[in-house]
Amino acid sequence: MKGIGSRILNRHRCLRVSSALSLFAGILISTGCQITIAESTATVDYRVFPRLGQMDGNWAALLAASDGKVYVGLACHGCSGHLVFYDSVTDKMVDAGDLNSLTGQSGLAVGPQSKIHAKFGEGNDGRIYFATHGGWWFDYARFATPEGYPGSHYMAYDPKLGRIQDFGIGPRFEGMNTGAYDPKYNRIYGLTHPRGHFVYYDVATGAKVDKGRVNNLDSICRTLGIDDEGNVYGSFGAGRVFVYSPRTDAIRELSMQLPIRQKGISLGRDYLKSETAWRVVIWDRTTRRFYGVEESESALFSFDPFAKPEDAVKRLGSMAIPQLATQRDVPYATLSLTLGHDRKLYYAAAAKEFDYGGSRVAEPSHLMTYDLRSGKTEDLGEMRLPDGRPVLGTNSADTGPDGTIYFVGAIGVDEGSTEGKENAGKIGDMPYRLALFMYHPKAVAAHE
Amino acid sequence: MNRAGLSVFLCAVLPLAAFAQRDPGHDRVVVPQTRIDLRDLGYSPLDLIPDGESGITSLAVAPNGDIYGATSGVRSHLFVMNPLHGYVFPIGVIPDTTSVTHSLVVSEQGHVFLGTAPGGHLLEYTPDDIDNRNIEIGKALAVKDRGAPVPGESIFALAIDRKANRIYGLTSPNAHLFSYSISTHTFQELGIVAHSAPWAEKSEHEKTMSRMLAVDGRGNVFATGEDGYFYEVDGKEQTLQKLSIRVPAVPGREPYTRVDAFLIARSGAIYGGTSDGYLFRLDPETRNITNLGKPLNQYRIAGLAWGTNGKLYGVGGDDSEMARLFSYDPKDGSYDLLGFIDVNRRPYFTWAAYVIGDIVSDDRGTVFLGENERISKLYLFFP
Repeated sequence: MKGIGSRILNRHRCLRVSSALSLFAGILISTGCQITIAESTATVDYRVFPRLGQMDGNWAALLAASDGKVYVGLACHGCSGHLVFYDSVTDKMVDAGDLNSLTGQSGLAVGPQSKIHAKFGEGNDGRIYFATHGGWWFDYARFATPEGYPGSHYMAYDPKLGRIQDFGIGPRFEGMNTGAYDPKYNRIYGLTHPRGHFVYYDVATGAKVDKGRVNNLDSICRTLGIDDEGNVYGSFGAGRVFVYSPRTDAIRELSMQLPIRQKGISLGRDYLKSETAWRVVIWDRTTRRFYGVEESESALFSFDPFAKPEDAVKRLGSMAIPQLATQRDVPYATLSLTLGHDRKLYYAAAAKEFDYGGSRVAEPSHLMTYDLRSGKTEDLGEMRLPDGRPVLGTNSADTGPDGTIYFVGAIGVDEGSTEGKENAGKIGDMPYRLALFMYHPKAVAAHE
Repeated sequence: MNRAGLSVFLCAVLPLAAFAQRDPGHDRVVVPQTRIDLRDLGYSPLDLIPDGESGITSLAVAPNGDIYGATSGVRSHLFVMNPLHGYVFPIGVIPDTTSVTHSLVVSEQGHVFLGTAPGGHLLEYTPDDIDNRNIEIGKALAVKDRGAPVPGESIFALAIDRKANRIYGLTSPNAHLFSYSISTHTFQELGIVAHSAPWAEKSEHEKTMSRMLAVDGRGNVFATGEDGYFYEVDGKEQTLQKLSIRVPAVPGREPYTRVDAFLIARSGAIYGGTSDGYLFRLDPETRNITNLGKPLNQYRIAGLAWGTNGKLYGVGGDDSEMARLFSYDPKDGSYDLLGFIDVNRRPYFTWAAYVIGDIVSDDRGTVFLGENERISKLYLFFP
């Protein structure tokens, strides 16, 4: 019996979402925003990670640096993650090393450094800053035990020297669930898992600071946003926002409210995900505000931290695939949001609940855009590789210096193929492996 | 569900469990959800003790059944919970105080005494008509300052002998034991339980003393100090004596071990939990100590309280760990390991306590657990 996986390998044989699209084709007016649904596909170039086919996930850890290198954190549950970079100039993928070795814990038989689970940051010194994360937590049965996860390391990669610097463990026993680097204050910020503490590492002084708990383990927001003054924002509770000021070294809870959908909409998923936080935010230097997607229904919002509280947050629309947007079970939002050089937000929307090997079925992601100038939302269609294979899901995005939009996610592979000899497991019944995707807005515009 | 159905269900759910932050299987590692609840510290969303000031580090049950609590953080707050109302009422900000650690006692007359840090003053609060007041977060608590028992020292722990109308205290960092007569408003310094810090790294200077004091049925007071030795205050003579008994510990670890929590039994026995996570029983008359073992593979016993079922309830886990609740049955010496302290009221909220600051129980059998984190709640466990 052919499974869903084999069906969607061939775009001509399975167009489950595309077929549905025909019912909704045209222009929809929803929440006051113009939404265009396309029947076309968004073709993306891709590169796999050679000899790293067993890497099973990527969340947030993607940075297109100023020198053209694209850094990716590859996760491996139950084993060591890897730091890799793609040199867009030479078109080479480089494995900078496995995280267990880079953190000096190889052979110690402790919980592996399985992930970089948060955003990278580029310092004024050209170094790439990040923090590591654990993989499996075993229902916290091994938490704070000798065999358990020893804690997240703060680290930097120096592309000039090709070397990693390990600043040591920050939070003991905890991973860095969420992170962001601020070049202004030269600090790596993070939210820990499982205890939800706001922590930071001050690179200049070497200080490791824990400012205490900000959330519960199931609702730790997945993105910290940093404005151009160095203030750090996160969401907590039921759609609320906190801000950390490096000037006062204090956390303050703000009174504005994010556009969070009422609870109880999807009890099954609600158990797994809190659905009360923003999933991803990005800072726009031009408008000096954040743009973000909340996790429950993929609502797109703007957040102006300098505005009066009642004017600070505005709902702009939805980044969910349009025909799914009004359903109860709109898929959990992805972390794949970035701002293009064309002033469009690019977002890779999941067609089904997507969490790599935790996904029950595989469906092609859609590439959504929101034009900050016109307020127009557009569904560019299913994301597919040049050979027609679908992008099964993504969970990170960034924009390169040349305007290329990068994503990292999963593709299906044929176990008999060269790519399929190594795979990370299955999504549904389809073997998958990770890949870096490249979308070229300018090239598409020229083609059109 | 038949076996095939179960297999299909598990195949569908387990892969998700591997990646998700919380899955239904997590419920088996937490306290049963029909036996636990929590309260915000005030009236949500605005009239709450602010985050960063809400770590509960002292709890006490008044003679009338009210539960008093004090917090630590940027500022310290006093709150009360009347079990008939069921909500927490923040009473006020404790003046010039950032920490109140096991230093809240209530006299027979219902007056509340607070031992403060860093100031080291003993403050007295007389309850007023809280039922007819509005919550005013930030309002200063009206107290009488009864003075500083040992100038320059913080108050680290308090205990009360209600019959004798006398309060006992321990100071930090230099481990002075003192008493205070409620009727005459006079302090008496009784001696020191730790003169030196144990041999440790050069960055470590803390002297080792118990985090609580115990007053037995005869009015004698127990503490632990340097090298894990017990000290006893004769309540009548008001004299301090170093005993020859030590805190149960792995040989060699006595200097680093202290009693975290004491609990008096109706039998007169004193139960205690150590910083290494052992539970013990002390016969205050014979001074025999029985090591009852270690319920969890974690450090610390953050607090102990009796259930009306005759079992003793406690919480283990250090500040960097995740706290777990256990019970001990003195009848057969058995432990029940009850799991993480987690309240799951989806879709409304879910919250877990990772660090517990203090535990008490009332005569209705409810065990109150005070969370001590930047954002903290008061948990109610129903044995």
